[in-house]
Amino acid sequence: MTGIGWSLVGVVSRLLEREEREAVLGDVLEAGESAWQGLLGVLGLVIRRQAALWKNWQPWLAAFGVAFPGSQLLMGVSLSVSWNYQQLLCPRLLAEGSLTTRTGFLLLMCQSFLLVGWSWTGGFLVGSVSRRTLWASTLLCYASCLFCLTRFRVESLSRFCLLLFLLPAIWGVAQGLRISTIKLSSAMILAVALTVLMIPAWSSPSLHWWSPPPLSLNWVLIWPAWYLVATARRSPRMVRGS
Amino acid sequence: MLGEFEYLLLAAAARLGDAAYGAAIREEIEASTGRKCSIGALYTTIDRLEQKNLVETWMGDATPQRGGRAKRLVRVTAKGVRAGREFYDAVARVSRGVSWVVRHTRSHP
Repeated sequence: MTGIGWSLVGVVSRLLEREEREAVLGDVLEAGESAWQGLLGVLGLVIRRQAALWKNWQPWLAAFGVAFPGSQLLMGVSLSVSWNYQQLLCPRLLAEGSLTTRTGFLLLMCQSFLLVGWSWTGGFLVGSVSRRTLWASTLLCYASCLFCLTRFRVESLSRFCLLLFLLPAIWGVAQGLRISTIKLSSAMILAVALTVLMIPAWSSPSLHWWSPPPLSLNWVLIWPAWYLVATARRSPRMVRGS
Repeated sequence: MLGEFEYLLLAAAARLGDAAYGAAIREEIEASTGRKCSIGALYTTIDRLEQKNLVETWMGDATPQRGGRAKRLVRVTAKGVRAGREFYDAVARVSRGVSWVVRHTRSHP
């Protein structure tokens, strides 16, 4: 199996499960098909497999319930964290926000923890419920990041301030791919801590227009944490195979 | 009740016996029907039949003519045999007394 055509067959077949890939590539080779025929055959199977996955609710939940709205809101939170950090460095901005150094520092810590917690739980949920449709969730997250980056206009802040949530989110996805649920005690601590910390973070007078609206949209960011609690209750810990 | 393609696949696997696996079943269906059988249709139907407990599959040994890749072997279960026979009987019953000869009728002005 050499040549560009066969390389393409190999690349497309990576989207199949390992055992199925093995059997299908063997069948293509045994049938003596051309690379083009092989590519069409494998592509047809991949499309059918992907279409079958979208009959379940999990990929929809991960892509349109978490990845897309979550990434937009978390970009706002990332910006808030960056802005609070800048306020701490500049006493004039701190005074404008009616904050003291102590309250500014506490607010920054609170928002940073929320950012990491929300991003990690969202990422974990996406990774654990839609392992094989992760590409779609990634694409939606990428699209909303790109949209916001092109429209970003804040002189004093770098565009990369929007993307602070990406690192914990990627960490969460990696964890979610590896294990499907976390321990009930850990999930409960995480969910309660995030919920409690939301109160001072959203009641702060120094919040900017880019922060998610205090009450109406909180649930979009917090529900993945409570979902982890609900699923942790059913099964203690399950290590996933390939 | 089985679908048409499910029956074709089941019949091909039953005929091939121990030598029933993806490429062989595909070849058998294409030879019997004269129709192209896509890999996608084949493997998704095998999965569906397996979910219905009409066939069972397992990974076999790798062979040199397949580039050292393993086969997915297929065996028709007892339930599959019954389902195949029911489908065949139904087709035989419904076809009784039917003549598949095209009648040429003269068209009236």
